[in-house]
Amino acid sequence: MAADFWFGIIALCLTMYVLLDGYDLGIGILLLGEPNRERRRSMIEIVATAWDGNESWIVLLGVSLWGGLPAAYGAMLPALYLPLVIMLFSLIFRGVAIEMVSSSPRTPAVWSFAFGAGSLVAAVAQGFVIGGLLNGVRVERQVFAGGTFDFFAPFSVFTAISTVLVYAVAGAAYLQHKSEGATEHRAAASGRVLLVFAVPFVLITALWTGATAAPLQLHPTARGIAFWLLVVVAVVAAGAAWIGFARGPDSLAFRGVVTAEIAGLVALFVGIAPLVVPPDVTIDSAAAPSGALTFLLIGVGINIPLVFFYNWYAHHVFRGKYRLPAEHRPSGMTPVGAAIRPTKGGDRR
Amino acid sequence: MTSAGPLLAAADLSPDLIAMSRWQFAVTIAFHMTFPAITVGLSVFLAAVYGAYLRTHKPVYLQIFRFWKRIFAVGFALGVVAGTVITFEFGLNWGPFAAATGPILGPIIGMEVVTAFFLEAGFIGVMLYGDGRVRERTMFICCCLVALGTILSTTWILAANSWMQTPAGYRMVNGQFQPTNWWHAIFNPSFPWRFPHMLLAVLISAAFLVAGVGAYYLRAGRSLAFARKTFSWSMGVIAILLPMQLWLGDNVAGYYVGPDQPAKIVAIEGHRVSTQNSYLLFVVPDEKANRNAVEIGVPWLGSAIGAKDLSGKSTTPGADAVKPDLRANVWGSFYGFRMMFYGSMFMFAAAMIAVVLRLRRRLYYAHWFHTFVMWLMPIGVIAIIGGWMTAETGRQPWLVYGQLRTTDGASHLATGTVIATFVGFLLIYLTMLAVWIGYVIRTVRSGPDTLEVPADGR
Repeated sequence: MAADFWFGIIALCLTMYVLLDGYDLGIGILLLGEPNRERRRSMIEIVATAWDGNESWIVLLGVSLWGGLPAAYGAMLPALYLPLVIMLFSLIFRGVAIEMVSSSPRTPAVWSFAFGAGSLVAAVAQGFVIGGLLNGVRVERQVFAGGTFDFFAPFSVFTAISTVLVYAVAGAAYLQHKSEGATEHRAAASGRVLLVFAVPFVLITALWTGATAAPLQLHPTARGIAFWLLVVVAVVAAGAAWIGFARGPDSLAFRGVVTAEIAGLVALFVGIAPLVVPPDVTIDSAAAPSGALTFLLIGVGINIPLVFFYNWYAHHVFRGKYRLPAEHRPSGMTPVGAAIRPTKGGDRR
Repeated sequence: MTSAGPLLAAADLSPDLIAMSRWQFAVTIAFHMTFPAITVGLSVFLAAVYGAYLRTHKPVYLQIFRFWKRIFAVGFALGVVAGTVITFEFGLNWGPFAAATGPILGPIIGMEVVTAFFLEAGFIGVMLYGDGRVRERTMFICCCLVALGTILSTTWILAANSWMQTPAGYRMVNGQFQPTNWWHAIFNPSFPWRFPHMLLAVLISAAFLVAGVGAYYLRAGRSLAFARKTFSWSMGVIAILLPMQLWLGDNVAGYYVGPDQPAKIVAIEGHRVSTQNSYLLFVVPDEKANRNAVEIGVPWLGSAIGAKDLSGKSTTPGADAVKPDLRANVWGSFYGFRMMFYGSMFMFAAAMIAVVLRLRRRLYYAHWFHTFVMWLMPIGVIAIIGGWMTAETGRQPWLVYGQLRTTDGASHLATGTVIATFVGFLLIYLTMLAVWIGYVIRTVRSGPDTLEVPADGR
């Protein structure tokens, strides 16, 4: 019982990570197709104030899995070693790139490319992680016993492409919501095109899941109904996003994408729970003893509303459209850059 | 699949694989450690400086705050991304270890993430970019929360690491550590000594960085108000904390390493036989033959330092007193310890000279001393890495002391895969280190913002 609750927290962490870091990885992916240097810079600035809070969710996801389902963590990570390490490499590059661009008055081309490429590779790697996991992990007596490239399969190629597309759509929607002028228009246009590819890819991948090591379990009937309802919600929300990209209002596309992502992920959990590491490791077989779970639920669980508050506050302080009011800054200098650059002479207080 | 039954045996794992996984972990954690070693202390320093500004409204404090937060920002970001790597490596390279210790270490690190990691990540945005956007009092509160976060983070991490040194509050069930008493697990026997030791170490490291930059400006005659204030504060902090640290370090050795981990003391001292009363300064170990190919020591001194026996009659235990398969590697512990200890002697000298100069009112004018302090800028970080090498290599062959061997904790990976990722980490981290050092040098060269009201000198 405690383990099931804790699995809910793990699912929450994964969802929060996909929602939050998904949009900023997506903005990085879109940046690769943006020729204009100033617009590239403003895309990075939009990410700069919130990325570390967003990325913290993947750390909490990892630790929650370790503390609550240690046997799953210990078997899953070695199995997904290569894509996970490549993801970590890319996250290092893009994190540092964000700070280096922010703290420089110019926009160094190398760092803005590092941000874009890092985001793309991280998204691809995460797609392979999901695909490799669903495809099944060879576990013998609780220890990973497979090979380095087990994660690579046609199915995981599809999950990788789907992940990139979904993140890019989320990035476009967030950009449309947060920016103005050319950046906003370009985001809306590319969001629409990407959505056309994203929806069929995700649907094909979802149906394909039935043929992996984690076949969808749609019995009893209530479970099947819940699953298909969630799929319908996701598709309808994607339709709303389509309208949002085309006609506005500005926030509609992002709301639509977020709803679709939540519905899609919950459908996945409904479809495969209690399986954690297919084909055999389940919540119960991997769960930590109750002493650990109680401590986690009380200690970590109680702090999660606080974590939500920190995330909300970080977004709240920098709410609204991202603009470039130039009066306090040299031309080309953005708010984030100005805050950590030396401001020679007349400072505002 | 059942949770019962012991973990898969590690008998067929190649020693190369384990060595590569250890090297990768060592490099990634040493790189990660470099940044918290600076940013924990800097966050406390920044909160104190902003507090001083709030009280006095002297512009020099704002100038100090704005300058140091620029260095803090990039250092913190590097610490975050390098720390994310560590969280995953526990499972990536040490899967069986993660499965065995998850019920104890998972919740402890989980507490670190929710109480510290998110607290810092949430308020650092406001601290760095909120100048002029939030009220001064709010700004001060955000600075304090970030500092609190970094200290809480240190606390939890040291609890987890100390538990691996002196495990407590658990029972073994089918090869898994299961919590029986959280109080004993968190406040395990070595934690009360190791936590303050580490906390002072990071504060001192940051103080040496701040002092070094102040010394550079004093020597160059630039931004003098800024330079004097930061140099005086940091050397003052060092003068107070360093003697405390030497006392604490001695107690870490005496109260926990000596009684709980005799093999580590043996490796630190480097003796091979238990009949010598010398203190060894330099050795070239030959582990296979259990001897030192080269050995230079001072007779009598070992008895005086180790046993506090001035008669010279006490001998220091040597490796022959430890079972061969439980001996720790001498390279890491012996030289790690000396890196830390000799480093601390330099730091102690700097602290005492600063006191003398201050009493003689020469602190801001003795340029030879400023040069000395500039060179000491990285000494705190170097000593921390040395101390960490001592603690971790001296713990071998154990991952969890006395309970779980390193060879039984490693993931079953292909050696070539780990070599490839290790090379990748090395290249990326060397690049990042170069970028970071370049950034700090550029920031220091370009100097702090000029004051709105020129206070003095330039």
